[in-house]
Amino acid sequence: MDETTPPPPPNEASPPPPPPITTSGSPTDFLKGVVGKRVIVRLTSGVDYRGVLSCLDGYMNIALEQTEEHVNGTLTNRYGDAFVRGNNVLYISAAEAL
Amino acid sequence: MDPSSTGIQEPFDLIRLSLSERVYVKLRGDREVTGILHAYDGHMNLILSDVEETIMIVDVDAPLEERRAVKMAKRKMEMLFVRGDGVILVSPPSRT
Repeated sequence: MDETTPPPPPNEASPPPPPPITTSGSPTDFLKGVVGKRVIVRLTSGVDYRGVLSCLDGYMNIALEQTEEHVNGTLTNRYGDAFVRGNNVLYISAAEAL
Repeated sequence: MDPSSTGIQEPFDLIRLSLSERVYVKLRGDREVTGILHAYDGHMNLILSDVEETIMIVDVDAPLEERRAVKMAKRKMEMLFVRGDGVILVSPPSRT
């Protein structure tokens, strides 16, 4: 019966909230942040290496600990430590919260 | 940088700590070698001795997902120089 209260107007003006940003800053800041964390390193060949990032250098050479090699999602090898030559790296993905 | 237990500050430290040890090296072209590491440089050129090379021969006619080594060829070499640009991964012996 109360026809004085109109329905709330569709608020098409307000955009959807931005996705939560877990970290911000430069690529270098990201890389500094993931040292010591679990990461997934993908090579241009498509092979993934999952492990704890020990350190990396300016060529993106990477030292990993507790490394698992995954090809097409299946575990193919384990290495205690691994040095990955930087030119093969496609990306480094954080596998845990920063 | 990372004050973890290993005391590694840069990736090449991993290689330096593996001098005179047997290392596993994954190379481009579906090849692997294991050998005693004698020397390396910034390109990851390597000098290895007592080397065994494993060559995975893949069936290139198979679909990409099913492609796996159909044959493994092995050969031994006394002394080997590996050009750095062929190196994908080097794994030292497990340090415990």
